[in-house]
Amino acid sequence: MFNLEQAIAEWRRQLRAVGIKSRAFLDELESHLRDDIEPQVRTGADESRSFATALERMGQPAPLKKEFMKTSNLKTKLWRTLKAFVPGAREVRLPAIDNFEPAALQTLQMAPDEARRFNHDFVGTEHLLLALTRSGSKAVANVMQKLGAGEEILRREIERIVSTGAATVTAPRIPYTPRARKSLRLAADEARKLNRPHVQPEHIFLGLLREGSGVAALVLKNLGVRLETARAEILKEMGASSSAG
Amino acid sequence: MYVRVMIEKELVAASTEPLILSLLARGESYGYELIQQVKELSGEKIQWTDGMLYPVLHRMEDNGWIKSRWVEMENGRKRKYYAIKKDGEKALKEKRAQWSVISGVLGGLWKEQHV
Repeated sequence: MFNLEQAIAEWRRQLRAVGIKSRAFLDELESHLRDDIEPQVRTGADESRSFATALERMGQPAPLKKEFMKTSNLKTKLWRTLKAFVPGAREVRLPAIDNFEPAALQTLQMAPDEARRFNHDFVGTEHLLLALTRSGSKAVANVMQKLGAGEEILRREIERIVSTGAATVTAPRIPYTPRARKSLRLAADEARKLNRPHVQPEHIFLGLLREGSGVAALVLKNLGVRLETARAEILKEMGASSSAG
Repeated sequence: MYVRVMIEKELVAASTEPLILSLLARGESYGYELIQQVKELSGEKIQWTDGMLYPVLHRMEDNGWIKSRWVEMENGRKRKYYAIKKDGEKALKEKRAQWSVISGVLGGLWKEQHV
């Protein structure tokens, strides 16, 4: 015996199965189906027949889903466009710093000083990298030496590719660039993946490498450092120091 | 010679938005009713796949041309009603001008040729 309610419920399941998940959209389609079935039944057709006719007119789930996606794609596209223009919407937030260990926090404190040395009113990845070389992390210092990118060489290369600002920066707080913020988020992610409870300078180094397109990465590449090699080296150093400690 | 006229797919697609806007300009309506009206007005020559109407309606709503609201009916069922907005009226005006040009040009040419 045909049961209209069951048939409609089953049809909704099919639509969900092809990926039409929006409750409001399903409700609207169901409402349409009932609008189509009702007058047929009123004029004497049986429910099962009316349901089949209504489904036929409604169309197949898959093409419907395709058409439906175009709408949601439009929304996504619109949102992306908006984000590019609305200040703050695009902002990459800094990770929570309460689980940064002291040496990592010190790096974050020294990075703005590095920026000031260049008269820069932002903290970029290059400033983070310079601060890292002074963070006291043996692992980072060792790897940089090994790869021929010691502090002095690094500083000279950075000076070569970025220009020093004209005026002394007097602002008490200097903001991070989006790439620097991203690098720090990646640093926190690296620590998490390596099962470390705290973010260490080494993780910040890994974050800079993974970000891969900031001035820090560019400088390293200019000095002939392959980012993958640097990553492997720092992981090796960290393994050595953790087993030693 | 009798030609059974069915409007081809591309033309149906292109005329969907002007049709919806024109119908909604006459008053609030809902999907099923819009489809019935188009069927009737075209002598069933314009055939929509019913379900396909809804993504179009949603797109038009995203454009800010129309707005919607759920209305509960006496039997407890709900129906989504659409109404035209100011921007929709503006869009309709533009579309109307475009379609008038095309229909005017074709009309003129066919009159000359006495087709």
